[in-house]
Amino acid sequence: MGDNKRYPELRRRVSPGWWTASRHYAMYMVREWTSLFIAVYSLIFIYGLSLWATVSRANFLNFLKNPAIIGFSLAALVFTMYHAVTWFYLLGAISPIKIGRSKTKPWQALVLNLVLLVIVSYLAIWLLILR
Amino acid sequence: MKVEAHKVARLHAILWGIFSLGGMIAAFLLPVLIYLTAIAYPFNLWPFNGTRDPSFLITGHRLGALFIFVTIAGSLYHGIFRFQSALTEVGLIKYRRALEAVGYFVIFVGIIVLGYYLATWYLNGTIT
Repeated sequence: MGDNKRYPELRRRVSPGWWTASRHYAMYMVREWTSLFIAVYSLIFIYGLSLWATVSRANFLNFLKNPAIIGFSLAALVFTMYHAVTWFYLLGAISPIKIGRSKTKPWQALVLNLVLLVIVSYLAIWLLILR
Repeated sequence: MKVEAHKVARLHAILWGIFSLGGMIAAFLLPVLIYLTAIAYPFNLWPFNGTRDPSFLITGHRLGALFIFVTIAGSLYHGIFRFQSALTEVGLIKYRRALEAVGYFVIFVGIIVLGYYLATWYLNGTIT
């Protein structure tokens, strides 16, 4: 309690549009807002499962073929890939691996994780659909 | 007071830990799920250019049901957590508590409903 009084929290007041001040801030905010597509896709998928559970499997499959759902899902895929690329780059920036005297660069983590993404995606398809 | 603050700090660490895990899941597993359900199936492309459809992904294998649960639950948590955090950064900081309450409610209900359907299909033999 005493510590709180000695060091009160001072929040800097900023306007709601602070992120338009520089390109760097704007890109950060765009990245944050793309998470809405990830959340909404997840909710749409759960809704599709509820159609299957309460009506029929055919309704779930027809729902996946709805043009509006396809359109939204394609946008969600673009934003998910944007999330993946920026996430992988961030991983390399905040936790570089030390090899000898040098440290790995963020773009190296990005490339490595993109290769891993392709491998994981193929493995998932092979294990869950093709096998 | 100090113990209470420590507990809150630990809870925050756990919630941010789950958020990071959700970020990894959304980055590694969500793209392939969206490809399968929104491109491959509607446009009859590989690997759905034969007899199977996305329902097989859920009911064909227990691992598939686990994949769906982990991918959707992790992505839902990550997406909503980050979106409500972004809203507080564009002038809605005074509604932070309300945004958190709504966000956690949606996450909780979404994960419970998803788990319920998958568990029901597992128990009645739909998932083999």
